[in-house]
Amino acid sequence: MTRLLRAEFLKFRTIWSTWAILIITMVLVGGLGVVVGFAPHRHDVEALLYPARGTSRWFDLVLSTMTVSVDLALVLGVICITGEYRHKTVTPTLLCEPKRGNMVATKLVSSAGGGVVVGVAGGLMGLALGLGLVAGGFGDTGRMLTEYRHVFPGVLAACVLYAVYGLGLGALLKNQVVALVVGLGVIAVVEPIIEGVVPSVGRWLPGQAAEALESVAVSASRRGGGGIFSSTTHLITWWEGALVLLAYGVVLAVAGTFTTLRADVT
Amino acid sequence: MTKHFGSVVAVDDLTFSVEPGIVTGFLGPNGAGKTTTLRMLLGLVSPTSGRALVNGVVYRDLPDPTRTVGAVLEASGFHPARTARNHLRTIAAVAGIDFARVDEVLELVGLGADARRTVGKFSLGMRQRLELARALLGDPEVLVLDEPANGLDPQGIAWIRGFLRWFASSGKVVLVSSHLLAEAAQTVDDVVILANGRLVGHGPLQQLLQGATASLTVRVRTPDARRLVSVLQAAQPGSGTVRLEGPDTVVVEGTTPEQVGPVMAENRIVVHEMTSTRGESLEQLFFQMTEGGQMGGHPIGEPWRSVGAEGYAPLPSREEGTS
Repeated sequence: MTRLLRAEFLKFRTIWSTWAILIITMVLVGGLGVVVGFAPHRHDVEALLYPARGTSRWFDLVLSTMTVSVDLALVLGVICITGEYRHKTVTPTLLCEPKRGNMVATKLVSSAGGGVVVGVAGGLMGLALGLGLVAGGFGDTGRMLTEYRHVFPGVLAACVLYAVYGLGLGALLKNQVVALVVGLGVIAVVEPIIEGVVPSVGRWLPGQAAEALESVAVSASRRGGGGIFSSTTHLITWWEGALVLLAYGVVLAVAGTFTTLRADVT
Repeated sequence: MTKHFGSVVAVDDLTFSVEPGIVTGFLGPNGAGKTTTLRMLLGLVSPTSGRALVNGVVYRDLPDPTRTVGAVLEASGFHPARTARNHLRTIAAVAGIDFARVDEVLELVGLGADARRTVGKFSLGMRQRLELARALLGDPEVLVLDEPANGLDPQGIAWIRGFLRWFASSGKVVLVSSHLLAEAAQTVDDVVILANGRLVGHGPLQQLLQGATASLTVRVRTPDARRLVSVLQAAQPGSGTVRLEGPDTVVVEGTTPEQVGPVMAENRIVVHEMTSTRGESLEQLFFQMTEGGQMGGHPIGEPWRSVGAEGYAPLPSREEGTS
């Protein structure tokens, strides 16, 4: 297993897609943070909803952009296994490790590791953004770090579990484009619809589960929710979210191992 | 082993064994089931029934597959953005092979200078060399090669021929598939011949050639070609056919110069040149054995010549399948 993992990390390291994902994560976190933090608001009504710059709520809002890392962790997880089929590297991979269950198990672990890296990349960018804002005269370091500590752990955990979920999707669907479209499409399109129609079901879907996980500290800091995060009240608890996401990833990967991945490699 | 793809029977109750110390050729027309058989041997394709054993176990149960079997496969993959060296390192890492060995095999196949280049920029021949390097990485006891000459330049083909002979001579196993018969005839000791997924011949090449009715092809250049054709058709030396190949060339199959010579002397025909070819004998043997189905109704032998001077016959069409 150690050898297999070593090979997997070598694979990650030696393709540009991995680096592209990390760079995109950082650019998005930084870029969106600035946009969210300095979006112009013209009316007094907006100003009421929108926290004043430098306040705790403002830092919370700006640092929440770290959550985009989660979607990129999903992409990484999907690529981790579908890339093997896309470029047919699955043939040499299976020649040196012919047991397909081992291949998937290794990738479950390595994609989780990849999720950590994406989460840390997003987290570092978030920290740099926060420090930059403080240096720019908005708020103070203590206030910023308090909010950072609330947001980052949930984001990191969600990144790990989303990468595993992405791997599971990839293992089951095998086709890279289909897996990416399904993975991101479910979060962006399908979930909001189901969530709107049957919230009791919707909150158990991956996107809402991740939100539950990410909002752990946020809602705790709100002491009962409210404010701009009032929509979080119907979410499942953070640990339910974590377990649900992990279950999605593992169940899909196991299903993939016994269906598509068992198929002939020609 | 037997393998069905839906209703198509790709490999039909195939049984054979491969011995160490010699090069075994795995021959058959495109679509005969060679690749499917090799992929079943390597655990990539599951047989519908039967199994293939390496050292007494199926590939999936080999304790150290990379050091046991080296496989050169068609359509094996490379990530285009990964360098040749990193590609091999990912495999070396799994097998616990020292990275120094990666550079060693790259040198061996003549890719030493290209080790740091990305595989996406490689030519077909270079990819084939890299595939060979990957197969040799674990210094295996068994080499399985699927059409290794594909994409290689003549120099590369000659090198691989010599390499396979050297590899086998150290008591190791070599199984090499090919549809290029002239190439195979120069390399292999034993042959396994496959047609339509079925075994049609297995044994030492020389023994199979002697047992076959096929003998030489005699080619005669004469200013009196048309008369030679008619006298040969009347005299019937040997068992084969007589054809006019050009305005001054006559081809006689399944015969020997000893049989043709007297006929020409008797009829006082001037001869400018007479040659006989032995190289085509494997081809003839092969066509005889794989007769039916594959050649799309063309006469066995040299199907394209039946078209005559009007043009070049297309490749006989065949049903979709794996080669």
